[in-house]
Amino acid sequence: MTTNVGAQAIESYTTKDYRSALTPIWCPGCGDFGVLSAIYRALTNIGRPPHEIAFVSGIGCSSRIPGYTTAYGFNSVHGRALPIAQGIKLANPDLLVLVAGGDGDGFSIGGGHLPHAIRRNLDLTYIVMDNQIYGLTKGQLSPTSPQGLSTVTSTYGSLEAPVNPLSYVLGYGAGFVAQGTPADMVGLEALILAGIRFPGFAFINVQSPCVTFGQPELQLKAHKAMLKRLDALGHDPTDRVRALTLAQDYGKELYVGMFYQAPTPAPTYGALVRTRQERLRGQARPKERILEMFAPA
Amino acid sequence: MASDLIIGMVGSGGDGVVSAGEALMAAAAAEGYHVVLTKSFGSQIRGGESSCRVRVSTEEVLSSGGTLDVLVVLSWEDFLKFGAELPVGGHTTIIYDGKTGAAEQIPLSSVTPAEVLAVSIGEMAKQAAGTDKAKNTVVLGLLAGWVGIGREAIVANLRKKFAKKAPDVVAGNERAFAAGLAYAEAHALHGTRVMAAARADDRKLLVIDGNSMCAAAAIFAGCEFFGGYPITPSTEIMQFLDRELWKYGGTVLQAEDEMAGVGAAIGASFGGKKSMTATSGPGMSLKTELLGLASIAEIPLVCINVQRGGPSTGLPTKSEQADLFQAIFSGHGDCVRPIVAPVSVADTFAVTVEAFNIAEAYQTPVIVLSDQEIAQRKETVRPIDTQAIRLLERRQPTASELAHYERFRLTESGVSPISRPGVPGGNYLASGIEHNECGAPSASGEVHARMTAKRVKKLDALKQRRDLFLLEGDPDAPLGLVAWGSVAGAAREALRLARAEGLRVKLLVPKLLYPVAEAVYEDFFESVQTGLVVEQSFQGQLHRVIRMYVNVPAGMGSLAKSGANPIVAGEIVDQLRTLSLNLQRRRVPDLQPVE
Repeated sequence: MTTNVGAQAIESYTTKDYRSALTPIWCPGCGDFGVLSAIYRALTNIGRPPHEIAFVSGIGCSSRIPGYTTAYGFNSVHGRALPIAQGIKLANPDLLVLVAGGDGDGFSIGGGHLPHAIRRNLDLTYIVMDNQIYGLTKGQLSPTSPQGLSTVTSTYGSLEAPVNPLSYVLGYGAGFVAQGTPADMVGLEALILAGIRFPGFAFINVQSPCVTFGQPELQLKAHKAMLKRLDALGHDPTDRVRALTLAQDYGKELYVGMFYQAPTPAPTYGALVRTRQERLRGQARPKERILEMFAPA
Repeated sequence: MASDLIIGMVGSGGDGVVSAGEALMAAAAAEGYHVVLTKSFGSQIRGGESSCRVRVSTEEVLSSGGTLDVLVVLSWEDFLKFGAELPVGGHTTIIYDGKTGAAEQIPLSSVTPAEVLAVSIGEMAKQAAGTDKAKNTVVLGLLAGWVGIGREAIVANLRKKFAKKAPDVVAGNERAFAAGLAYAEAHALHGTRVMAAARADDRKLLVIDGNSMCAAAAIFAGCEFFGGYPITPSTEIMQFLDRELWKYGGTVLQAEDEMAGVGAAIGASFGGKKSMTATSGPGMSLKTELLGLASIAEIPLVCINVQRGGPSTGLPTKSEQADLFQAIFSGHGDCVRPIVAPVSVADTFAVTVEAFNIAEAYQTPVIVLSDQEIAQRKETVRPIDTQAIRLLERRQPTASELAHYERFRLTESGVSPISRPGVPGGNYLASGIEHNECGAPSASGEVHARMTAKRVKKLDALKQRRDLFLLEGDPDAPLGLVAWGSVAGAAREALRLARAEGLRVKLLVPKLLYPVAEAVYEDFFESVQTGLVVEQSFQGQLHRVIRMYVNVPAGMGSLAKSGANPIVAGEIVDQLRTLSLNLQRRRVPDLQPVE
């Protein structure tokens, strides 16, 4: 899976340069193939060499995705992709850091990290492949499964209302909130590209159907028929209140496009960190003499 | 004249006994005495009971000691809440505020102190300073008179401390101090408690607590990232780093939870920076899965666990050594991670630096098992020669290795060159899923077997590190002591006392607890017929771990107690005497854990 592409002085890249030698474990027809493809294209468009990209994920079908790119990947543990990605970005602010995972990873086991990643506002792009089911473990209930859904762990139908990821992240105050589907590859690539370019935490919910355990009536073909483009609806992506209203239709309507993009993005945490480091740098006492601060006055 | 004095003070939260202890320590340190200050509180945020112990000596202090020489009681009710943390014996001088109870009501059973003295401490404070808030300053005056420490330094420090307050606060406190001093001078104690003069060359001692020492060591070692979540009794590590690490271009992240704290540290280390997290027992439980990730992905990481009483919330403010099993065994899967433990505040520097060196050299998480006693006590420490300490860095791939880079290449040592994002050609996938040499996920039994062996065997080299063990006493002694962490201080003291009585005894203190260095223990036990593994855990966790790996002499027993009440040198010596007598009678004692 290693690549030496980065070592060569290539000025522009093709999607091939971001594609690793590993074959995805996904089922034929899985929505995640489309997401991967859109990521390749967006990265090609950005043109950063793979060694300057870190791609972090948790656990689940979709979390395998970093390994299918030539970037530095980190396929970590269930639910912890966001903390790890934040550590990477803070350690190495010049990297382009992508985070990906599924709805279980992001909204269930790792759900506690999402509001904090948003309020911290590091320059990360978080792509969730939301398929409303646990596919890797063969078809259990997910936090975004519709109420009443019958699965192997909700034999008599789920009793719980699903999480609404769009209204969550809007409520948490994210500066960039979008939704896409691999049924609209051009749109999806554009959203990922915009997310990477956005200076701050960008959240992209991708309706990426599970071909094996997902609802048959909600596959990519159906997406094509039911999707509604937010720009065609005349939605102004700087209107956060309207975005929240539209987000209420999660699970009923398939809106794609930009829900909200802050017109004047807040300073990123990374930028604040660097300002502080520079301000305090002169005050450091030599490391080998650090204990002198404990000498009696 | 005394050369070693243990002074205890107890009162309610507002009485300021702990700040009196701090002031006494600062004065004694400035005069060149060696000092250990321990504090103990209830769990209340404000108020409640609080106490401190100040041990002052003309020689290096190894532990906070046992029975008090002097006890100052501002409230008997609060005294009773500390039990054996403030032990009173036949030689103790007790000074108490007459207001807290009549002489016949003093709650001391089965012990007759050397002297019990009621002093109107509160009244003196009110008369001198107009408020009984100055009680603690009266106490400092009394001690300056009776013990002879801080006649000048305490007033000078008071002026500094209250510099920003109204002038009458300073004046009031000065009068309170003078009143205490005058009282002491007018009322001699029956037995003198005056300290002998300190050595002049010890006037350069540093005054520092274990958590600050740990954090300072991390900065010295090159730590550039700290991720963590506040938890008692480790929080001072994060607080120190938040004040200092930014100045060195580092970053401190107060994460949303324990997993995020260690997760961010793992991410930063993957990004090429030396990284650390710190916590206590409950946080260790939460971090466990991510520590396993650092092991399998071979990410260098230092994880400090300042142990407190457990399980669950347990005793958040009190010391225990009962997280050794957790440190060794808490992760799932076949996994070894190095565990080191400091024995004192001073030692915390070297052990923390060592943890970074091991983490970087072997690309592994390293757990530092500190404990509340070491972490939150203040010690006088001789300046450390940092020039003599070597710092290790992770092995990065060479240009030729990058041409065909395999992140997890099998090498003779088991350590493979580690790249970091930003390095062209070093791109790889780090993962918690099993992976082959190239980093590609694999479910193959063969791959799993050889990668497991790689990760476990690379740490075998640590077993050769005899420098991570203290060995003291008679090399051929039939009596053996083994102790670790803060309790090692009491064991070292016990060794000296026992040898002074003519007992032939030796002591082994492992600072490397895991992997178990079998050969070091086997050599130690060669001459040993009987002895004790001394530790502050009910089950005797170290004793049991050693027995997993080493043929321990049948006569080795356990001195194992659960936390809060410290194990003191005296009780170790008592047991050594019995063991020695049994040995002379050629009888081996029972192996029951001793309560």
